[in-house]
Amino acid sequence: MAELTFPLPDLGEGLIEATVLEWLVAPGDQVERNQPLVEVETSKSAVELPSPQAGKVLRIHGEPGQSISVGQPLIVFDVPDDSAGIVGTVPKDEAPKRRVRLSAVLDED
Amino acid sequence: MSGRHSGEAPTHTVEGTDPRLFVQVHEPQDAAIGNRPVLLIHGFSSSSALNWEATGWVAALLGAGRRVITVDLPGHGRSAAPDDCDSYSPSRIRADLLQIVTDAGARPLMSGDSSSGLDVIGYSLGSRLAWEFGATQPELVHRLVLGGPNSADPLADFDLSAAQQHLADGTPIQDVSTAGLLRMAQLLPSNNIFALLSLVEAIKSEPFDAAEAVPHMPMLLVAGDQDERAVTLPVLASIATAAGTAVKELLIPGRNHTNVLTNRAFKQAAIEFLAP
Repeated sequence: MAELTFPLPDLGEGLIEATVLEWLVAPGDQVERNQPLVEVETSKSAVELPSPQAGKVLRIHGEPGQSISVGQPLIVFDVPDDSAGIVGTVPKDEAPKRRVRLSAVLDED
Repeated sequence: MSGRHSGEAPTHTVEGTDPRLFVQVHEPQDAAIGNRPVLLIHGFSSSSALNWEATGWVAALLGAGRRVITVDLPGHGRSAAPDDCDSYSPSRIRADLLQIVTDAGARPLMSGDSSSGLDVIGYSLGSRLAWEFGATQPELVHRLVLGGPNSADPLADFDLSAAQQHLADGTPIQDVSTAGLLRMAQLLPSNNIFALLSLVEAIKSEPFDAAEAVPHMPMLLVAGDQDERAVTLPVLASIATAAGTAVKELLIPGRNHTNVLTNRAFKQAAIEFLAP
């Protein structure tokens, strides 16, 4: 198995960080794509981040009340070795709009 | 795009003008269920995208098999920002909402038919509009969920001339509520401040008077227990109860006016309360 890390995505409006309100999944959970993962709050609004992919949660970063910078690791998935190269590309199924989506850091090799 | 369509609904003029409001009808995957639609009304200086989509509400309601109608209020989100003050009056907005939900297929309530009627969820200013919409459309509205509600009217008490002075030359605003509301409106660069001030001006001419028209359908009142803008929630509850309305109240621990919106307990309570 390989690890696939998703950082806190760019939340728009020039925001550089967000505070974790509540995790909706825990390490060991099997999650579906688009299942809500975590609630975060910025200085402007509260946002629920959906899962970019299906898989098993390996680790989560940030306790409630902790601040995470855009680009810092947010959640790590456990994925089969042969899929790590392709799951980083989230299929686009709708026109671009103001929707925040996580995308993977493919720094594992 | 799972069955979502936007901008395709027939547009009708209301009182002779097209309000040019941005409406989306979100269809659940399992459309065969045939539940009545849910109308979502967002808060001041927000939008459907911020208030309902980014927070996970639209997805949660779709997941519960509900058809969802969202609309950006005038001067907000992707709706037009007309120059005339009348376009922003609460009575005008209620007329626009009635036309929008009718165009989206909402039909008057018929007993025993769970596809008839309309459920409404409002937040903050949207809760005020939902309260009035429920009170004035009893043959259409089935149930109400009012989030972050206020029995008073912070927008009617807004110090408009101080805000305009502040925008013109930076003169500090003395009134704390006015300063806070303007700061909230200015947080989002996409907001049209002058349209929002037109809305405030229109609301001053039609301030919220909760006791004047009370909804008689069951309602759920929800707020964070840290929400300073919703401390009068029990006042609304007692006004409704005194009028014979079935009222449920829910306080979400540790949440405020901004961050109660993503809360799962809030969403789950709303979905259960509105279940056919």
